[in-house]
Amino acid sequence: MTYKESLHRIWLIARREVHRLGTQPIYFFCMLIAPAICVIFFVSLMHEGLPTDLPVAVVDMDNSATSRNLIRQLDAFEQTEVYMKTMSFSEARREMQKGNVYGIFYIPSDFEVEATSGKQPGLSFYTNGTYLIAASLLFRDMKTMSVLAGAAVGLQTGQAKGYTEAQIMGQLQPIVIDTHPIGNPWLNYSVYLNNTVLPGIIQLMVFLVTVFGIGTEIKYSTSRKWLSMGGNSIVVSLLGKLLPQTVIFTVVGFMYCAVLYGFGSFPLNSGWLPMLLAMFLLVLSSQAVGVFMIGVLPTLRLGLSFASLFGMISFSIVGFSFPVQGMDPTLQALARLFPLRHYFLIYVDQALNGRELFYTLGEYAWLLGFLVLPFLIGRNLKRALLDFKYLP
Amino acid sequence: MMKREYRLRYIIKEGLQDTFYIWKDELRNVFKDTGVMIFFFLVPFVYPLLYSFIYNNEVVHEAKMVVVDQSDSYLSREFTRRVNATPDVEIVGVCADMAEAKKMLDEKKAYGILLFPSDYSKDLHAGRQATVSLYCDMSALLFYKAFLLSATEVSLDMGKELRMHNNPSSSDKMDQITVDPIPYESVALFNTQNGFASFLVPAILILVLQQTLILGIGMLGGTAREKNRFHSLVPVCRHFSGTLRIVFGKSLTYLLLYVVVCIWVLAVVPRLFSLPQLGDPLTILLFLLPYLFGCIFMSMMLSGFMTSRESPMLVFVFTSVILLFISGVSWPEASIPPFWKAVGYLFPSTPGIQGFIRINTTGASLYEVAHEYRVLWIQAGIYFILSCVIYRYQIIRSRRLIIKQYQYMKIQRMMRKDK
Repeated sequence: MTYKESLHRIWLIARREVHRLGTQPIYFFCMLIAPAICVIFFVSLMHEGLPTDLPVAVVDMDNSATSRNLIRQLDAFEQTEVYMKTMSFSEARREMQKGNVYGIFYIPSDFEVEATSGKQPGLSFYTNGTYLIAASLLFRDMKTMSVLAGAAVGLQTGQAKGYTEAQIMGQLQPIVIDTHPIGNPWLNYSVYLNNTVLPGIIQLMVFLVTVFGIGTEIKYSTSRKWLSMGGNSIVVSLLGKLLPQTVIFTVVGFMYCAVLYGFGSFPLNSGWLPMLLAMFLLVLSSQAVGVFMIGVLPTLRLGLSFASLFGMISFSIVGFSFPVQGMDPTLQALARLFPLRHYFLIYVDQALNGRELFYTLGEYAWLLGFLVLPFLIGRNLKRALLDFKYLP
Repeated sequence: MMKREYRLRYIIKEGLQDTFYIWKDELRNVFKDTGVMIFFFLVPFVYPLLYSFIYNNEVVHEAKMVVVDQSDSYLSREFTRRVNATPDVEIVGVCADMAEAKKMLDEKKAYGILLFPSDYSKDLHAGRQATVSLYCDMSALLFYKAFLLSATEVSLDMGKELRMHNNPSSSDKMDQITVDPIPYESVALFNTQNGFASFLVPAILILVLQQTLILGIGMLGGTAREKNRFHSLVPVCRHFSGTLRIVFGKSLTYLLLYVVVCIWVLAVVPRLFSLPQLGDPLTILLFLLPYLFGCIFMSMMLSGFMTSRESPMLVFVFTSVILLFISGVSWPEASIPPFWKAVGYLFPSTPGIQGFIRINTTGASLYEVAHEYRVLWIQAGIYFILSCVIYRYQIIRSRRLIIKQYQYMKIQRMMRKDK
């Protein structure tokens, strides 16, 4: 086969594939509808960046002007909303078990009297670790509130005794920690999660569609015809078949980038090119993994099961929620087998931190490395395409 | 009078026989089909293990941090030493300047920088407030949390000691404000170590039950549609003549299989990985009943729309990610937009996860999860009716097609005779 002839064959198969994609609604669903649902869901779910007005219960045993003032201030925090005031801790605890509040702020009796007379009344706050995100946000607010309450009392008594504010603060809190979260100073969860969850959806759908596209050829015995259109060359046949899918998924991926970095103005310290390249390579490498899956398990349902399980587990093993460095060493090694992991590392280096491209080249190379997979399994796949009888 | 009773008894008897026939038939279908076996057994067996294994370390230990010490004093070195001594943070090096430290971040040798300004020690000795800056790579929120909590803890401890050291009960007046005017304590009531596995895995376990049921039952439905005459969900067979028989018979199969699956997923796995298990077993059992019913009937309804055996995987797998977030376990329920909250009510997993984690992790009783429990029963009821409607429609459809074909053949025969 000459070079020109190969190109012509690829073109013919691609046209055939476009026709297949157009006539079966399931492709339309998997390639466009499902990614659209996901982007609308995740962007609208986290549009505020951080959850606001998380309900807490206040157990106010003091019921004085000071304690009421504390409650008002706590309520004024953006993340916190005082859902209920009660005199009974067990009632507040029950509300927590009912899921109505995520935290309890406890003000002991005689709080006001003891605070002003220097008897050190203690404040306590309780969080429900069952809801980790809500718990850590409320922990932050309730702790700040407690520190502020102490500072207010300290300032009041100190100033009454003639000390300057600087002197008093130097005594109250000698060392302060000034935090600078690099790249995401707002601790925005949408930035934190969507930059990886959405590409994860793309990876999953690419796996499924790639396996489905090749698997149905086997299932409905059209694989011989497909292969003969490619002049019996698995490379030509695959290229022709996957090209239209590559184009569509790349466009979808670029749309995701547009939503995140354009419309959502998420941090993009690297400029567009490194991320668009990463997205393109994510699509390519996921297709390569998809070909590998159906090559290893050349039955449509087994191939698809493999794709589903691998695609779903990647959301966890990629380490954007729980860092890979905290996992078992075996899993740290396994994480490398997921294209999304390398995409995530590129995102951290490029878009989030704007590092020199030099530090990220390895990850781009990994994504390219996945393209070797189809060649490893090509022979097996070809045999399956030629001989395999579909067994339901 | 006698005759009618005889009839009713006959109908019940026949109905029961058919139900058991269908039950046995469906059981055979399940065990015959590797695809279904994967989703009914392999996934529920492996996935919980895998997820528990991934999150098993619960918290991040020894997050790597680098120090830029422009003060280079006893106090700054002591601060560094103490941060290093906390279980969550490890100091991997001390750099001369920020550029060098940033380079270590670029090379992923560290994920955070602690910066002591040059007058750190001087300020402290003079009784002025000193500031330590913490820079953090935001690729993982848990690193940030580990750094912040450890540094804050050390700053408070050292602050307290400094106060006592600076003025060893010199002036009584200052004492009253130097010692904490209002001390505070924080308590994590449930999931006390704020562990990641204890937080996320119970929710995943519940979700796995629903998703595998949808995929498995959807696959059975798709297979039936591919295999049966007229691509109907219901085979043309005497036993498959009544809607209730089919729905009861099939759901009984799935229910019995999932009792076994539930024991593994919800009793054995949490014990293997010592996840929280505060729930009363009877409460969990009572709670799971409507959950399983809801999932099974919903899956049976959805299976009516599956035209091929593979389509469930293409259509439903990605929903797992959405359903986990919509359940309100990670993104708090209070902050979910109303529209998505309403969508969440379509799926048993939403009240199922909410209720289960509160029973399991906070030890709630059915009274405390009454809302979720009620929603689950309502869902089970509605999906039961809908799956009956689907099967009824399919029975009528295939009957109509049989009659049509019969008439067609009759006409053909007549035409042949005419010749």
